Amino acid sequence: MRAKTVVDFALQFGVKLSLNEELLVQTDGRFFLLNSQIKSLVKDNFFYAGTFLGKVKNSKFFPSFTLLSMIAKQQEANRILVDRKVGWLFICGRDIFKKGVMRTYGKIQRNSHVLVFNEFGECLGFGRVLAGLEQQADKNVVAVANVLDVGDFLRRERDL
Amino acid sequence: MVSFFCKVFIFLFFFLVLMSGREFFVSRYEQLGWKYRPVKLRQAIRFNCANIKSQDLISRLSCLGLNLEKISFLPHGYWVCDSSVSAGATAEYLLGLYSVQEAAAQIPVILFTDLKGKTVLDASAAPGGKTVQLADSMDNTGSIVAIDINKRRLTALTNHLERCHVKNAVVYQIDARNSPKLGLKFDCVLVDAPCSGNFASDPMWFQNRTLQDVERNARVQREMLMKAAECLTDDGEIVYSTCSLEPEENELNIDWALHRLDLQVAEINCTGTPGLTNIFGKQLDPSVACCRRFWPDPTQGFFVCKLVRRHT
Repeated sequence: MRAKTVVDFALQFGVKLSLNEELLVQTDGRFFLLNSQIKSLVKDNFFYAGTFLGKVKNSKFFPSFTLLSMIAKQQEANRILVDRKVGWLFICGRDIFKKGVMRTYGKIQRNSHVLVFNEFGECLGFGRVLAGLEQQADKNVVAVANVLDVGDFLRRERDL
Repeated sequence: MVSFFCKVFIFLFFFLVLMSGREFFVSRYEQLGWKYRPVKLRQAIRFNCANIKSQDLISRLSCLGLNLEKISFLPHGYWVCDSSVSAGATAEYLLGLYSVQEAAAQIPVILFTDLKGKTVLDASAAPGGKTVQLADSMDNTGSIVAIDINKRRLTALTNHLERCHVKNAVVYQIDARNSPKLGLKFDCVLVDAPCSGNFASDPMWFQNRTLQDVERNARVQREMLMKAAECLTDDGEIVYSTCSLEPEENELNIDWALHRLDLQVAEINCTGTPGLTNIFGKQLDPSVACCRRFWPDPTQGFFVCKLVRRHT
């Protein structure tokens, strides 16, 4: 059941993740993937362990950046590539215009989710496709709405 | 009753007026052999080499206008020379390719002999700069148990772990003085003890600190050392560090540990000045000289020591 939440999320990007349910643990609505070396160190009252996958809040799953990186490693993941400037604006919470998308990979459809990669192939976050990127549409329309970006780490620091 | 109030007054006067303030502490430093001067700290960063090659990151940061200079005494540390951007707010930082970490604070982790595959305790781990450094040095092998008592600081720690893609850490909200309750033995224990800090990193330090604060912290640090020793394997290593300049939290604590715990100081190949063996006329164990003390400039004030089980 724990694995299903995470696997279903990855499926939105066209990726079928394989997770060992025995290595998945949960505390306070947060999901973690362990490895064999740390499994024996994890007790009931742990605060954080291994790879943080995401959390469920109000029945909605919020992925971690480590989970996004795991999905990003899969060749079949739906993703778009943006340049440095557009990448920085995305990190600052902005949406991506069609003219800012350098390349697309995978099945990109309206309302689907896509990972956003920078020029070095690093995952900056993900967004929701608002306009069909394959079509001859206006280049000045918002193509991908920002859902989550790594600038979140700075926002978390501010909120601490 | 009058006598009681007189005693309280004398006690407060003694600690809050005579044994505090800039002149008091500066004269102590002079007695210890260092002449006080105002210090301007240099910002330092540390590359997370598990996530990127150093040369690639140098060129990427250079393109951003962040110019670096290698820190000679650190394997992955760099001074930020000049920068048109904030080092703590670049895409590279947010992707976990490097961490902003004070230069002296990068030293404790590099003193462990070999971390790969080991079981490590990071006592008083938050906000997590050294935990991430441990994971990077271990190349995410082995395991780290990171503990701290403060939940808010633990949240900062876990944000660091997520940002830097650390996979081998388990975090508990536990007081380091309760670490034996984990029921585990560790090959390496990092005791980066909560301390009084120093004037180089806190402009209001002289106004805010008294000798009483220092002694209170020293007591907690001794308890942490004692519990760390209980969790150590027979051939394990403890690295003890503080960012305090006060000998009560440094050399005197190590001298106490040598007499009270089954530990000895190990030689370290490290920059800094030797630990002091004569503190205000009190002669300490000669091996305390193997510790390292960092008077401020260009790093903050710092103290570090490596301890191993005593071989009889």
